Amino acid sequence: MGGRQERPDGDWARTANRLEELRGPAPARPHDARAIAALAANPGCARRALLDAAGVDKDTAARHVGFPAPFGQSQFAITRGNAFETLVKENGCAELLRLLRGLLGLPIEQVGYQDVENVGAHLRASHTRALIDRAARETETAVFYDHPLLSLRIAGHTSYLEPDVVAFQLGGRFHVVEIKSFAVIDGQAEPDKVAAAARQAAVYVLALRTLMEELGHDPERVSHDVVLVCPENFANRPVATLVDVRRQLAVLRRQLARMTRVDRLLEGLPPGLTFSLDPDPDGVPTRSAEEVAQALRQVPARYAPDCLSTCDLCMFCRDEARACGSTDLLGRQVRDQLGGVSGMEEALGLAEGVREPGEGQEEIAHLLRQAERLRRECVA
Amino acid sequence: MSESLDALERRIAELRAEVRRAVKARDTALARHLRADLRRAERAWDEAVVADGADGDGPAAREPAATLMPVREQVHQALLLLGVPAAARLIVAVNGAFFSGALRGPQLSSLRRDEERSFRGAPYTRPYYLCAALTDRLSPARGLFADSTWPLRARVVGPLSPRVDFLSAAVRIAEHLTRLADPPPGAVRLLSRMAQNIPGAAETGFGPADPATVIAAARAELEVHLPADTAQRAEVAARAGEQLTDAERLFGAAALTTLRGAC
Repeated sequence: MGGRQERPDGDWARTANRLEELRGPAPARPHDARAIAALAANPGCARRALLDAAGVDKDTAARHVGFPAPFGQSQFAITRGNAFETLVKENGCAELLRLLRGLLGLPIEQVGYQDVENVGAHLRASHTRALIDRAARETETAVFYDHPLLSLRIAGHTSYLEPDVVAFQLGGRFHVVEIKSFAVIDGQAEPDKVAAAARQAAVYVLALRTLMEELGHDPERVSHDVVLVCPENFANRPVATLVDVRRQLAVLRRQLARMTRVDRLLEGLPPGLTFSLDPDPDGVPTRSAEEVAQALRQVPARYAPDCLSTCDLCMFCRDEARACGSTDLLGRQVRDQLGGVSGMEEALGLAEGVREPGEGQEEIAHLLRQAERLRRECVA
Repeated sequence: MSESLDALERRIAELRAEVRRAVKARDTALARHLRADLRRAERAWDEAVVADGADGDGPAAREPAATLMPVREQVHQALLLLGVPAAARLIVAVNGAFFSGALRGPQLSSLRRDEERSFRGAPYTRPYYLCAALTDRLSPARGLFADSTWPLRARVVGPLSPRVDFLSAAVRIAEHLTRLADPPPGAVRLLSRMAQNIPGAAETGFGPADPATVIAAARAELEVHLPADTAQRAEVAARAGEQLTDAERLFGAAALTTLRGAC
């Protein structure tokens, strides 16, 4: 993200203009933590990187081309999440304090609590800054910062992010606390959900580190271990675990840097390409769905089944991957194993022995034939 | 009792059949008359069935008597028990555990605003006002209720105050429980829940907490925080006393105007 200053202004202006052209007349979509985290979920996808950098409303675009995303948060899930969060934060974070005394070894004296929301909404970001700065300078200070508001610059736009709680430890380290309402049963939680929570928390860690850097403190004082608070087993009692988000942070950094180096992605695009839906004054798209779909297909995507839970365009990309029989559909692991094989048809041909393995394909062809033999034995 | 119920049910069935016949015969006057009879019979059946249930130990008998106290009185009652600024959720929980249980969270949402309007319209006409707790920026603390008759230093909150107030509230609830001959189960549950978050207070695991243990444990932790918190509160209270008008001292100053004195 520091790359912006290094580039001459003219270049940046040209890139910004081109991105605006891609987006069309609609206002740019601001990013929230979930959207930024989703970026990190599939770093290899140029389509997503480009659409996000341009601030295109992917949901509307997907709906318009006839592939609406199958998700969205249910009202019940939101209510449940909020109720659990209130429970954890009740009485000056009393529950959280108990958990962190065990997890981080907070001494009894450390119980401070500052609700950043006590100031008006327009002052929250600056108040968060002031409080974090004070915490970083002095040792005797609050432990919990509730409702903080952090900011992160993404592709030239400032996005505001709201972590659940930021905890401060006497050792001078900050921890991001993420409260989620999915259950940890017998010490195990659903890996997808934990991964999503870790990615989201990584966004907050990055924003907090950026803030520390701006204030002239050591960014490493923001711990890469985030505290994940979830209900335990089948009760409503919270339990906390430390999650290491170093990997997610690295991916996120790379992805954000890629967005600022978006000119490289723009280079290969045909001139005049736009994803604009040409909305009329009432916001109803007037451009034909086929044209928009054509425009989207100009940018290569990298579909993976995980996209189904993070990206608005997932159904569109899946359809595309199915049409060309891409091995992406089978998940990352299988795709990587089928490295030199271009499509599903080729893989099936190799397995059934109809097709002769090309150079370098002998090993995978052998594996595929063996798998096919096993399958036949099982079925017969 | 059930015999009369049976008789009423038979009567209702007959009336329904007669209404149907009258409608079929297009005799609207008779149908209207019969419908009125049917409604009367149904009402009588409703009353009889409720009376029948109340005779034994039906659920109706256990419902707490509806209170006639206004919402602000009920909130005040809970605040008097707690003795510290409290959030709406805790007030509702205390009301449910010890008092009428008729208080609901949304009822409290506009209370502070109404009180402020009343105070600004005619100052000091009520014996007490439900006011805001003040933060170290002298702005109203979000969601905290306080009693205007408390001294200023009890109505301001510093960074340590939420913990101190939580522990003090637990002590007050435990003390109140020891005074009651037959402690209500809801109150014991409330105390047990609070005890889970006080080190050394919940020795029995998830079982009901012992009030004496809770008091001892909470006092032990209070000793650690109290001196620092009292000093912080006194400082904020002194600032509030100097800078604020009467109404602002109760309901807080707008966040923008206090930027000078804060952090």
